[in-house]
Amino acid sequence: MRPNIYVKDKVAIVGAGLTLFRRRLLETPRELAWEASKQALDSAGLTLKDIDCIVIGSAPDAFDGVHFKGEYLADGSGGFGKPTVRVFVGGGTGVMTPIAAWWHVASGLCKTVLAVGEEKMSHAYPHPQGVFAYIWDPILERPLRPNLIWIFALEMARYMHVCKASKEDIALVSVKNKRNALDHPAAQAAANITVDDVLKSEVLVWPVQLLDISPVSDGAVALVVASEKIARRVTDTPVWIDGVGFTLDNTHWYNRDLSYPRYLEYAARMAYKMAGIERPWKEIDVAEPYDPFDYKELHHIEGLMLARRCEAPKLLKEGYFDRSGELPTSPSGGLLGVGNPIAAAGVMKVAELFWQLRYEAGARQVKKPVHKAVANAWGDLMQVGTVIVLST
Amino acid sequence: MSVPKKFRLEDTIHVKGKIEVEKYVYTPGVAGLKLAEALIDGRMLGIRCGDKILVPAKLYCPDFTQGEIVEVKDPWIVEAYTVIYEDMYGRRLEKPQIIALVRPENSLGGIIHYVKTDIEKIRLGLRVKPVFKPREERRGLITDIEYFEQLE
Repeated sequence: MRPNIYVKDKVAIVGAGLTLFRRRLLETPRELAWEASKQALDSAGLTLKDIDCIVIGSAPDAFDGVHFKGEYLADGSGGFGKPTVRVFVGGGTGVMTPIAAWWHVASGLCKTVLAVGEEKMSHAYPHPQGVFAYIWDPILERPLRPNLIWIFALEMARYMHVCKASKEDIALVSVKNKRNALDHPAAQAAANITVDDVLKSEVLVWPVQLLDISPVSDGAVALVVASEKIARRVTDTPVWIDGVGFTLDNTHWYNRDLSYPRYLEYAARMAYKMAGIERPWKEIDVAEPYDPFDYKELHHIEGLMLARRCEAPKLLKEGYFDRSGELPTSPSGGLLGVGNPIAAAGVMKVAELFWQLRYEAGARQVKKPVHKAVANAWGDLMQVGTVIVLST
Repeated sequence: MSVPKKFRLEDTIHVKGKIEVEKYVYTPGVAGLKLAEALIDGRMLGIRCGDKILVPAKLYCPDFTQGEIVEVKDPWIVEAYTVIYEDMYGRRLEKPQIIALVRPENSLGGIIHYVKTDIEKIRLGLRVKPVFKPREERRGLITDIEYFEQLE
């Protein structure tokens, strides 16, 4: 299939860097952004002088407890005397950040972009969960005193019912990702656990248990994105951004099909079309589906059309999504294993694919040869899908 | 003009909102921690980037290179000042308060702080130095410096 879009410049990722993912890091949000940015620039062999534009991704200001977080982070992201923007679509920001970097370069506006995702979740005390109190409808929902996990619990219950998936099937995602994360130097929640450990962990909001959930994290990740001409000059192995997609679904989350992420399918179709991919389940070699919860990875594998609807749990059990499997998913360890500093977590997934496609992932490198990869993130009022397709 | 009755809060059906974050707890940062320790010590830090010293101290230079954190020396210079007569609620202050942007003579940047001097004497370019609180009252905050006083 031919790509359906004319762009001024082909766009590549040429460098990536990240901080440790931890709870309550000493570094300020700016210092985290700087650490990741500096690493990304160093890995590309570039300095801040070589960068034309800055794209910052960060979720609500209320997480870091700093208003105008984009402007605040500009300091650690090199945003002095340069066109600087901040993008924000909640949890989807992580993949939206490289998407925004893509359109900065694809449009011909900038030749090089530093794309930085940062989140410091540990400033809010006692828990960042409280920040979400205001996402709810004041008449219909807020008086019930809901919290965020309600959404996930209802989605998970619906998915389990429609797809006849058991808690054991779903727990395997947590087991796989936390094990994958053992090889990730930045990981916060890496562990060798069993399905039993997941099922015996604290029940929070049934069917969601403690080990079904990613942790509260601080961290930053940065990418250097460049036009084709510059990319070919600075590296022999640029990783091309072939397609991007983003969609919003119904804001009334309970009026959506909770068992299937339609928001993601639409975004994925947009990205695949742009990338000229007709059969993603055959053409994609490695994927980083967004996995803040274990069932969510299965959800997103299906939404990305890497498996048929309700087929993901069965394939997972067969080891299809393992690092040595036919279509490795979350080889980084994902949000469940590496950690979940919201906007930074999505960028981490894209950074992982960058390293995978360059065969630079070390112990995390998947067994099979890789050429095409896809990552997604999910967020806002749980209805935004953001997708990016990469290739070598 | 009085507010029409129908717009009064108590006459509406409404939902009270409260963001359930008791407080924010900010970590000081790598450079911030050094700065806090220095303030307790009665010192102020800047960062050396190339041949310049920037105040206050940060972890990195504007060009993203790692700078060297150094102690800055008196005297400080008043770069800009203002005089506060009313607080943010419109209450008249007992005594007008001078706020200034001050920077060490051999550095760039600077900090905002109180300057204690007569209103007739404050001017741009005035040389000042920080006066620290007694050691046991210092908390690693900018208020460990009580104010800046005029030199000479």
